[in-house]
Amino acid sequence: MDVASQRVTGGSEPWPFASRGDLGLDRRRVTQCALSRICGVCGESLSRPVAFLGSRAEADANAFHFPPTHVACAEVAVTVWGEERSSALGHASHPAEWVLVTTSGFEYVRPGEEWVDRRSVFSPNSVIETRAV
Amino acid sequence: MAIADVKEYTHLSPEEVEELGRELDAIRADIEESRGDDDAAYINRMITIQRRLAAAGRITLFASKYKPAFFAGAAMLGVAKILENMEIGHNVMHGQWDWMNDPEIHSSTWDWDTAQPGEQWKHSHNYVHHQFTNVLGYDNDIGYGVLRMAREQRWHPVNLGQPIYNALLASLFQWGVALHDLDLEAIRKGKKDPELMKKQLRQIGRKVSRQFAKDYLLFPALAGPAFVQTAKANATANLMRNLWSYMIIFCGHFPDGALHFTEEEVEDESRAEWYLRQMLGSANFQGSPLLHIMSGNLGYQIEHHLFPDLPSNRYAEISDRVRPLCEKYGIPYTTGPLYKQYGQVLRTIHKLALPNKFTRPTRHDYPETPEVPRGRRDDADRPTRRVETGGWTSRASA
Repeated sequence: MDVASQRVTGGSEPWPFASRGDLGLDRRRVTQCALSRICGVCGESLSRPVAFLGSRAEADANAFHFPPTHVACAEVAVTVWGEERSSALGHASHPAEWVLVTTSGFEYVRPGEEWVDRRSVFSPNSVIETRAV
Repeated sequence: MAIADVKEYTHLSPEEVEELGRELDAIRADIEESRGDDDAAYINRMITIQRRLAAAGRITLFASKYKPAFFAGAAMLGVAKILENMEIGHNVMHGQWDWMNDPEIHSSTWDWDTAQPGEQWKHSHNYVHHQFTNVLGYDNDIGYGVLRMAREQRWHPVNLGQPIYNALLASLFQWGVALHDLDLEAIRKGKKDPELMKKQLRQIGRKVSRQFAKDYLLFPALAGPAFVQTAKANATANLMRNLWSYMIIFCGHFPDGALHFTEEEVEDESRAEWYLRQMLGSANFQGSPLLHIMSGNLGYQIEHHLFPDLPSNRYAEISDRVRPLCEKYGIPYTTGPLYKQYGQVLRTIHKLALPNKFTRPTRHDYPETPEVPRGRRDDADRPTRRVETGGWTSRASA
């Protein structure tokens, strides 16, 4: 069983590492994932390539809100939370399409004072592949 | 108290703070857009030089029964270890070179030539230190849990031994760093998650075994009759690296002028305010291009803390834009020659070995403030960011 599956089935915290479940993303952990370079789903060290899971609009804008993940973790996450509990992945409503972007690197952008949406943003900077999941 | 009450920029209006943030954003955008082949060639060149230097040092040490070979080999290996740790390992693990799409030079795959596992470094340094820079009680790099580095840290009789602890920390720096993320205090108090502790201990055990085997068994054994001399030379190279990296790291946040912050409330900062805290909590030093390479470009500590994931070879260019910004907005830009910066660090270490009543603060424009309780926070205790104006207040260092 991979780490993402363990987190999904494991007892006390059945949410992605960087999530507070229906309450949305845990901003402290989002920052921790960005800086410690750990997976937003399983909380373990990232491997290369890094994956970003988000809506088509996020992919088109190259601005994701859910922190980086392992590719396998993103695939498990979208099947477990993507349909019914998308708030656990930082989406208040279920996106029409989930997109998985793999990249080698990313920029972490902290929210500015003037931003209406005060969540941090991740911008992949060396995209390898973009595909619908 | 909001961050805007910090004396160094009380003269700035909120609009000016945001404007400064936008100017720093523009610098970041310019560097990101211009990153390319020249930068990739730079890091590849550094890695090549470092590997050749290490190989030359190891080969020279086959003849380490002869004193010139002993000293030459140890020196080459020491410089190679410094280059690997400072300019390559530290910066690669920050993700500064991830954009190159190189499977080897990547933050997730690189592990450096020192005792601390890379994964633990990315937590204790990239996250805890860079997110909570110089915030007393939150940034564990303030004195590395061994030294009292700010007047607000509560004095204890054990602090009288600071000059000795400092010498030990400098000499054994890689071992101090290896235990840094383990949080011995939490273990002693029974607060450490046993599973996490086991995982970290396993990682440290594996890494220490590998380091020890490499420097004190494998290469000495390859040197045959020069086994003992080679092991001694390797220890000398490690000592060189320890002393150098300790000095460079301590010069980044503890010279006069680099401020400490106290957390009065769990509040948030805007990006511009976060930039400001990084600028005020860090200190640069001046020197030649070679000195900057050997220090991992951490002589540009202010620029590193503003943009920790931009390539280190661009920090000099960034500083040419950051310093005029500081002048424009009337913000201090702390810098000086390396000897002067380290002299100030040493003075602070010795001064703070004593209770506050026996010493005077370096700066008199900040009142004495209540002491911060001893001890470290774990991740769950670290503040969640809020959307309102931040709550950091600044304090002079000694």
